[in-house]
Amino acid sequence: MDELLQALVEGLLIGSTYGLVALGMGLVYGVSGVVNFAHGDFILLGMYVCLALYSAFALDPYVSLIVTLPVMTLVGALVYRFLIRPIADQHLLMVVQLTLGLALVIQNGVLMLFGGQPQRTPSIVEAKLFVVGDVVLRGPQVIAAVISFALAGVLFVILRSTDIGRSIRAVHQNARAAALMGIDVGQVQTITFAMGIGIVAVAAALLSPGASIQPSDGLRYTVTTLLVIVLGGMTDFAGIMLGGLIIGCAEALGTVYLSETLGTLLPYAIFVLIMLFRPRGLSWGTG
Amino acid sequence: MMRAEFFRILRSPALWLVLAVAVLGPFEMSSYYLHIATLALIYVALCSAWNIVGGIGGQISLGHSLFVGLGSLLASALLLKLGINLWLGMLIAAVLSGAAGAMIAWIDFRFRLGHLSFALITLAFAEMAEIVAIGWDFVGGASGLLLPHDMGNFLAFQFGGGKGSYWAALTVAVVCVTANLAILNAPLGYALRCIRNNEDAAQAIGVGLLRTKMLAMVISAVLTSIVGTVYARYLAFVDPYQLASPLITVEIVLFATVGGLGSAFGPALGAIVLVPLGEILRGKLGGVLPGLHAFIYGLIVIATIMLSPRGLLALFASRWTRKADSLIANLAKLFSAATGPLLRSALPRSRPPCAAAASRTGARRPQNRRRSTT
Repeated sequence: MDELLQALVEGLLIGSTYGLVALGMGLVYGVSGVVNFAHGDFILLGMYVCLALYSAFALDPYVSLIVTLPVMTLVGALVYRFLIRPIADQHLLMVVQLTLGLALVIQNGVLMLFGGQPQRTPSIVEAKLFVVGDVVLRGPQVIAAVISFALAGVLFVILRSTDIGRSIRAVHQNARAAALMGIDVGQVQTITFAMGIGIVAVAAALLSPGASIQPSDGLRYTVTTLLVIVLGGMTDFAGIMLGGLIIGCAEALGTVYLSETLGTLLPYAIFVLIMLFRPRGLSWGTG
Repeated sequence: MMRAEFFRILRSPALWLVLAVAVLGPFEMSSYYLHIATLALIYVALCSAWNIVGGIGGQISLGHSLFVGLGSLLASALLLKLGINLWLGMLIAAVLSGAAGAMIAWIDFRFRLGHLSFALITLAFAEMAEIVAIGWDFVGGASGLLLPHDMGNFLAFQFGGGKGSYWAALTVAVVCVTANLAILNAPLGYALRCIRNNEDAAQAIGVGLLRTKMLAMVISAVLTSIVGTVYARYLAFVDPYQLASPLITVEIVLFATVGGLGSAFGPALGAIVLVPLGEILRGKLGGVLPGLHAFIYGLIVIATIMLSPRGLLALFASRWTRKADSLIANLAKLFSAATGPLLRSALPRSRPPCAAAASRTGARRPQNRRRSTT
């Protein structure tokens, strides 16, 4: 019973970060129809930058955010403006392949700079443990979950009641009508993509402390994120967060209760099952 | 009922010239380039087989590693563990792949999955299949299977390595490309393109969604599985991390997309350009710095897509093919004049009745004219 509770709580904590990353990806998809297969590699890039900053200046991953957040956001804007936008009106798969090429470049760039062996970035909160009843919570996970939910809330407020948020929603609903209302669609798409990568930078800092990273992990993060957004109904806010929690729990339960190999299978099995019963995902709205 | 276009392309001298060069190629190649060429041909076959579903039908399947895995791992396991001849094993794996393909198509139809859901569900199946393959000792488990040495015994699915394997790969590549060409010019191709462009409209005008999708998926799965067996025989060492991994699907989709989705020769072109490029980069730079060759490869992929966003075939078609076609046709005329009736008797001469009728009346049907790609 303790084991179950422990696994569930851990799954929920990690799942909130998955949900946050997927929110960024879902926003990009909703606004520009781009499925970014390099999303996971951007997470990895962020984590390696944290590692580099730690080994060079002994910066804690959370402090590194001062550097990584603006830099990654800028990189995101540049990538969208100069790589994705020129071919955005082509076949969906062309854009997917372009981002896969980008993933290859990031993954192997990191491999060239940092080598292939697993590495980890330490942090001061790493050893902190919270004990609630019979459940032991690791410090970084709690911080990750709190910040993820807070950021998701901030994102919700931005979308709901700021000008840029309204523009994003307008482009999502109908890009042509939005353009007629005087919204610079291309600019909104660029900003959204940059936001998505900015969220990735935050997620990288949240996932970094104590986690073992390898250059080839990017695709795994991408696939997890894709599972989450499809489960969440592509653009539905609550659905995506819920999807993140479900995939997180499935991962945690799988590794606790099943063998190593079967454990990694559980998220996929649960994904397939849910998709068969709710092909439109977990969204409640019309989305 | 096949459209005349199919026979016109089959009778094009340029095509036969390319094929002749491809058949005679190994006599002039070193073993290193022969290996690259064989690999490229296997990927030509895989990409073309995938194109039937992913390109022509627009159903982005990321589950084709499942079929490659069945064709390679299962057929090899049947040979090594149960002593079943690899030819028979190839058939068994192909039938199972076809069944799996039919099931996936049924799920897609029954639950009306969107594009991305379909892509991810097929990916989920492929991931699960890889995990099963790695955990199941019958198909070699994590350590893989070693096929017996290739003695060139044709009855045991052995082609003698080197040139023999090259010709085997060439055969499956030709079969897969021809299958693409045939489907594009057959009712199935029209139904598939109709579904790709608008599924609801297709259904409304009477295209059988389930039948069409299932047929396309089964053909694609069976072809992919057969190529998988040939690939396994060529590699001789069958590794689930390589052959059942979704990464192989990622490669297939990459080559097919960069070449030109939905056309008969686009995916083949993509594989012919990108596979040797990757191999040569790996050979030249692999030892310099780990990751350098794949880094450059990724940059080239990005540059290629930026330069030809509609695929390499469209890029070539708009610039060079017309010139090259007439050049090759003239060369072929010279060649056939020089060699006399020998070559001409080898080419199919009788025209199909519908093509003859079409050219006699001088009029083509409007729906034929409206098609833009071949």
